[in-house]
Amino acid sequence: MIKTKTWIFLFSLLLLGSGLAAGLLFSGATTADVVEIRQDGRLVQSIDLTQVQESYSLVVTDEKGGSNTILVEPGRICISHADCPDQVCVRRGYLTDSAAPIVCLPHRLVIQAAGETDLDAVAQ
Amino acid sequence: MINRLTRMGLLTALALIIFMVEAQIPPLVPVPGVKLGLANIITVYAIFTLGPRDTLLILLSRIFLGSVFSGQMMTFFYSLSGGILCYLVMLLMRKLVTRRQIWVCSVMGAIAHNIGQIIAAILLARTPALIVYLPVLLLSGLLSGAFTGLCAQLVVDRLHQP
Repeated sequence: MIKTKTWIFLFSLLLLGSGLAAGLLFSGATTADVVEIRQDGRLVQSIDLTQVQESYSLVVTDEKGGSNTILVEPGRICISHADCPDQVCVRRGYLTDSAAPIVCLPHRLVIQAAGETDLDAVAQ
Repeated sequence: MINRLTRMGLLTALALIIFMVEAQIPPLVPVPGVKLGLANIITVYAIFTLGPRDTLLILLSRIFLGSVFSGQMMTFFYSLSGGILCYLVMLLMRKLVTRRQIWVCSVMGAIAHNIGQIIAAILLARTPALIVYLPVLLLSGLLSGAFTGLCAQLVVDRLHQP
């Protein structure tokens, strides 16, 4: 049997490591001019945020009727409304706020910097 | 037989109630998949007091009914992938820990649960970039796993004194 102290030590190390990694990832920022809106991995729209003159909203609906309203502003983008109960994607804020992509798991919707993943290249 | 059935029914109902009550609490941090996972207390308790088969039945019933009642069918896939992985890891860990280390088993299970969830999310949203959420999920898994594990350990202590 492994001693309880050993377990606590191991878990503390893991806690420290993941804490540091999470801190680094989420204190960083997504710096991208072109962002991709993807649902189920399919590209819905690609937007060059530097070309946006006026703010506008965009509604993306999945095949089961779940919808997200995306707010596109000059230089930044966020999800302003979602019809799912958890509202995680809305509370995530603007894409530039951290290094992680905006994700709505119930509707499999992702907003990320363009070129971050090349799934088609992986598939081939 | 009736004893066993009653106990499983009771535990499933308990797990479901805990799951539903927890679902009413708004997420603490805006990161998908981060939650307390209080229903895991029941799974850990069952792992240590019932057989592997009964535990699996309780777990699957809770995941299925929980998704039906919360009205989010997508929840089913995330819960299922996480739940199964968590179950397998805890089954393995059960042989490796003493009765004073039940919480260790729960922490390992929680970590497995979060890894299972992120794999499901990557496959369903077809976005490998979601892996960046792993450190945050590990962090939350370590803390919530230790908490639910200690709860389960207390219950096992109180109800099954050697």
